[in-house]
Amino acid sequence: MIEELLKIKQDALERLAAAQSEAELQALQQDVFGKGGQLTSILRTMGQLTAEKRAAIGAAVNETKQELEKHMNEARARYKKKAQELRFLREELDITEPADFALPKGALHPMTQTYRTIRDALVGMGFSMFGGPEIELDDNNFTLLNLPLDHPARDMQDTFFVNEKVVLRTHTSPCEIRALQTLKPPFRLVMPGRVFRVDEVDASHSPVFMQMEGFVVDRNLNIANLKGTLDAFVHAVFGDDVKTRLRPSYFPFTEPSAELDISCTICGGKGCRVCKGTGWIEILGCGITNPHELQNCGLDPKEWTGIAFGLGVDRMTSLKYGISDVRYEYENDARFLKQF
Amino acid sequence: MKLPKKWLCEYVDFNVTDEEFVERMMWRGFELASIDKELQNVSGVITGKIISLEQHPNANRLKVCQVDIGDKVVQILTNATNVFEGAIVPVAYLGAVIGDTTFSKANIRGVDSYGMFCSGHEFGLTEAEYPGAEVDGILILSEDTPLGMDMLKVLQKDDIVFDFDLTPNRPDCNSIIGLCREAAAALGQDMKEPQIKHVKGEGVASAHVSVENPVLCPRYCGRVLKDIKIAPSPKWMQRRLRAMGMRPINNIVDITNYVLVEYGHPMHAFDLSCIADDHIIVRNAQKDEVVTTLDDKQHVMDESMLLIADPKKGVGVAGVMGGLNSEITESTNTVFFESAVFLGSNIRHTSRKLHQVTDAAARFTKGVEPVNALLALERAVELVEELGAGTVVGDVIDVCNADLDERQINVDVEHVNRLLNLSLTGEQMLELLKPIHLYGSAHKDTIKLAIPHYRTDIESGIEADADIAEEIGRIYGFQNIPSVLMHGDTFQGCVSEEYADEDKIKDTLVGLGCLEMYNYNFTSPAALTALQIPNGDERMKYVKLLNPFGEEQSVMRTTLYMGMLTSCARNINRKTGHGRFMEVGNVHFDNSIVLPEERKMIGLAFFGEKESFFTLKAAIIRLCEVMHLPAVRFVKGGCDCFQPGRKALIYSGETLLGEMGQLHPDVQDAYSISQTIYMAELSYLAIRSCKHDKVRFAPIPRFPVVGRDLAVVVDNAVEAQALIDVIKNTPTDLIIDEVELFDVYRGQGVAEGKKNLAFSFTLRAEDHTLTDDEIRTAFDAIILELANNNAPLRQ
Repeated sequence: MIEELLKIKQDALERLAAAQSEAELQALQQDVFGKGGQLTSILRTMGQLTAEKRAAIGAAVNETKQELEKHMNEARARYKKKAQELRFLREELDITEPADFALPKGALHPMTQTYRTIRDALVGMGFSMFGGPEIELDDNNFTLLNLPLDHPARDMQDTFFVNEKVVLRTHTSPCEIRALQTLKPPFRLVMPGRVFRVDEVDASHSPVFMQMEGFVVDRNLNIANLKGTLDAFVHAVFGDDVKTRLRPSYFPFTEPSAELDISCTICGGKGCRVCKGTGWIEILGCGITNPHELQNCGLDPKEWTGIAFGLGVDRMTSLKYGISDVRYEYENDARFLKQF
Repeated sequence: MKLPKKWLCEYVDFNVTDEEFVERMMWRGFELASIDKELQNVSGVITGKIISLEQHPNANRLKVCQVDIGDKVVQILTNATNVFEGAIVPVAYLGAVIGDTTFSKANIRGVDSYGMFCSGHEFGLTEAEYPGAEVDGILILSEDTPLGMDMLKVLQKDDIVFDFDLTPNRPDCNSIIGLCREAAAALGQDMKEPQIKHVKGEGVASAHVSVENPVLCPRYCGRVLKDIKIAPSPKWMQRRLRAMGMRPINNIVDITNYVLVEYGHPMHAFDLSCIADDHIIVRNAQKDEVVTTLDDKQHVMDESMLLIADPKKGVGVAGVMGGLNSEITESTNTVFFESAVFLGSNIRHTSRKLHQVTDAAARFTKGVEPVNALLALERAVELVEELGAGTVVGDVIDVCNADLDERQINVDVEHVNRLLNLSLTGEQMLELLKPIHLYGSAHKDTIKLAIPHYRTDIESGIEADADIAEEIGRIYGFQNIPSVLMHGDTFQGCVSEEYADEDKIKDTLVGLGCLEMYNYNFTSPAALTALQIPNGDERMKYVKLLNPFGEEQSVMRTTLYMGMLTSCARNINRKTGHGRFMEVGNVHFDNSIVLPEERKMIGLAFFGEKESFFTLKAAIIRLCEVMHLPAVRFVKGGCDCFQPGRKALIYSGETLLGEMGQLHPDVQDAYSISQTIYMAELSYLAIRSCKHDKVRFAPIPRFPVVGRDLAVVVDNAVEAQALIDVIKNTPTDLIIDEVELFDVYRGQGVAEGKKNLAFSFTLRAEDHTLTDDEIRTAFDAIILELANNNAPLRQ
């Protein structure tokens, strides 16, 4: 019987070695382990044996069975792997074929992206959102901002009128008046929105554009804080390598007033056409809120100080992305919009 | 304001480089607009003497000249006929530049030429500036001209001119004297202030002045001159006027222009013989009073405008322009010089109303001051005498209602320090302010300052601290103040939901393939009419602009459609290959309240082969899902700009969110659009008001769902949504979910006028796995319910 077992094992291993397919393995499994299989037959005849022999044969059968199963499993794994390899070969893709899009590419307008970058930088410094209407009272747009009727600086911003008392706001600064009239200081606000000026459309002008105003009112604010705040957000938008320069200027609603220049984003400060050879580009106007404005809104300018800055999102976008003509930003050509 | 360097150097020692000067001025608030050479188009042209002149061997009209240019002799060809041996002429030798031409060696018919001779034209010269400048030929220079000298030097046109941008608060710097004061301070020097010599006049002046409106004319100074000898002004004055971009006319006019530039105060010269009774009256004009100004324009004035008149007629529009009837001419013998102060706001008003924009009006508008008015007059009179242009008669006529006292202000030292983040003492502040002529004394907590008459921008009230902080800031240098973040209380910065929701909507639509548009707010009534919006519609209640660019941009948009359609048309025409756009923007309605009503809208525009009513609907539904809007329904209806039967109103519960539809073919034609466009407009406010604020977790079903399909045949007019509602609302113990229409079929096997609708749905129970019986019962109930609603099962 032992010989028989050895033979079964020998035959099975030979068949295993010769097997070419999963089907042959299946047949072998059936022939050896199946209901009428060789090992099963041996087990069936064991009843006639003595207890001792039975134990010995039983052990031998088990051993054979285990060994064969081990081989069979290995062979199966081999075949499975081989079959899988074949399948992989069959299913290989040319991954350079075009992608299959369910939807076209959407994109936020670059100005929205610039706006969010600036906003998030300011929100990180404790600013909150505040807004006002696009069509404003002349009072809020001018008079209360220390630009009384017939103030020559009104000419700086040519205005669209709806009627004598109502204008399309020429800047986001009227939001300052609304904030001063409705909120209790101290506060830090960022105020985005569209503004309008009587400017014919050309490569650098648009009668409609987007501004953002930063406005802080607190007890101890100064020019150094203005510089610090502006530096922080300029670096957020244009990167840490950009240099800034705060230069004295004039606005009726700030005193002292300043303009912020950044080192040219195109040439890095060496001088080029964009910066007109100076290496610097002006990006915003700012200053300490004019005491008249605070007083107009019922705050004591000795107690409270404001710092304010207003910037053109269109211009920042042009500078950030190197857009040569502001008209692109309102043409809505998909080939432009998709780039951002 | 232009500042010629040579002129500046009369008052200061220019002891730094041009670049350094420009930078110092920048830190003081004077930004350079440009720095130009006086003569920009010419460089490298030198003088040379023609030592021999021969005929060109191969060209009849050319001569070959040997020219001594100082350090060598060069050969130059010319076709000019006025040159001769011994003539000294301007030579554009190799490397010289005139306009766009840089001269290099040329060979003309076998003979080399090393440049070209120049005419007066190349230097923009007039006969008055250099004799022979306007002859047809080469400019022949005077015999004593050195050889090899730069022509710009010969012509004294070698200056450079700085042009600074002025801020509106510094009208005093719109003058050479004013700007030089700042320049001297920037260069760390005391300015050599010019001293005006008072000229005592002969006899008694015949003229007298009455000011009837002292509010509009706080000061009026005048002086009479006789024996006027009208002649060209001297060359130095002409040169300076030209450097400032002005055209010399004659000595009297040039003097007023010169003083305008030098002192920044506008003056006027009348021919006194044309003034009746030698009596100048400053009064408001009468209604419809007509004055013809020097430029021969007739102006119809009104009572709001100030007139310069004599007892019989108007002789000038105050502060704007003099009258033609009293103009200085060749035959003028007596002159009346006017140097006055007119109220800026009134001059601005007059200038605008008459459409007469002049330099004088601009200066009065920006503000002039009374002390300077007299200084300018005195300076002009001094020049008249210096130039021998006439004889001064009598004394200054001065009608003054202005306050000429020096102003004193008190400044809070601690407040100034606080604004600048500095810790200066009062004495240190005074020291800083000295160079700009702000002198004063330090007291316990304040400094007391005397304000020079020309610093009209420095206020004495609550702005004083800020004004002086600005002065100290620009002298101390903003660049020397460190950059410090704000400190103090912490603030909770946040993007409030009002703004965050906009982000969410935009981001969702971008995820759905939309490109974001930005269109202008301006549109026209015609564009709204082209949308077929009926007259009574809210969208025809647009806000009109008083001063639009034109009819096409005359009103504020009441819907985003117009701008979006125009941009869509552009994309279609340019074949950009994209057909999904969105815009979030404001529209305005004239609701006759103080301010127009502003609403934020969300616009969508889809077009192209892959798009349909239902792709747009899908995007809207997805947006509603992301925003957690409950019970979103599409109901027949919507704007007339859509094709009938292909438009819908969109609701969440009972709130109207907006509308959508396929653009009406007529509208499409009106906008010259060649493709079918599907558009929608949703209200931002409505979306936000319906938003499910508190999303709560609903347990995930624990027991399996069973899917079922069925098909019914109904009339064409039956809406799918109605049947979906029938299925959903079938009374049964089970939960019916995910009811979807998955097929619509018309045609063979379905009767005419009918359609076959196939629905799928799922059934489940909250607390157990369904049995076959339960499923059958529920399914039968649904079929029965459908049948009861005229939707029998398809046989």
